[in-house]
Amino acid sequence: MAEVRKIMTENVIVVSQSASIKNAAKLMKSKSVSSLVVAEKNQPIAVINEIDVIRGFVDKKKYVKDILNKEFIVISPSTKLHEVVKDLKEKKIKKFPVVENQKLVGLITETDVIEATRDFTRFQHIVQDVILIVFGLATAVTLFYLSPLGAAIFK
Amino acid sequence: MAKVKKVMLTNVPTLKKEASILDAAKLLVKDGSGCIVILHNNRIPFGIVTELDIVRKVISEGKSLNDHVTDIMNYPVTHVTPNMDLDEALKIIDTKSFRRFPVVENDELVGLVTQKDVVTVISSNLKLHRTIQNAVLVLFILFELFVFIFYKYLGVRR
Repeated sequence: MAEVRKIMTENVIVVSQSASIKNAAKLMKSKSVSSLVVAEKNQPIAVINEIDVIRGFVDKKKYVKDILNKEFIVISPSTKLHEVVKDLKEKKIKKFPVVENQKLVGLITETDVIEATRDFTRFQHIVQDVILIVFGLATAVTLFYLSPLGAAIFK
Repeated sequence: MAKVKKVMLTNVPTLKKEASILDAAKLLVKDGSGCIVILHNNRIPFGIVTELDIVRKVISEGKSLNDHVTDIMNYPVTHVTPNMDLDEALKIIDTKSFRRFPVVENDELVGLVTQKDVVTVISSNLKLHRTIQNAVLVLFILFELFVFIFYKYLGVRR
């Protein structure tokens, strides 16, 4: 199955800990994303999404450092997709920053995984349909060949 | 084919249309299902407010939390009915850009479905279909093999 590299979002939006919650919200709006990676020296220290921002705002928090969400797992671009699916299901972790050579290079979220799995199964289904058609036709031709009508024609 | 009522969430977070944005934000944080249905007269779905609306229309714009929730809600809402087939519901869902749909029966809110839930159930239903297809494929292959061996190697001639 595919590697993380192929399906990850490469254009990760990074926000600093000292940014205000309002600026984080503005960033989410202008970049049309639901998740922001909070990074320090290119290392992810948290991933925040819309509900973290709302919770912080309702609790009258001011800065991103007050709403850090540490529920994430760092993976590498060569991690296999099925390993991510396993963590999604078993550990209920939905955010996976991708790090290569000490550098943040991408992000995978639950939505990315669902879409990738759907594309993959769609591809499998097309292959299966083609095989079925080939063998179906072969069987039909064989049956015709063996039938009295076929025997008369092929003689 | 499964119906909408099989996959819908029945415990839908709702607010009256007189509620404030703060009420909506608090309920979103508490409930965690990602959206709130705004009701008219306590029963008819009137609009939907999502996490995205609060972040993009309120927090980033500096809008007051005391304003009416109706200022930021999405409306009119497109709804589905509990006895609709999932295929039919997906057709409606695919024509819209939202992911969450109220389920309405006799002008009353009875549930909520998400695009993700509908798609997941439909694709797991397809699995049975695929298993049958695989069985047919195996039969075809066995038949071809039988014919091949019978006529080629056993030297049987017509």
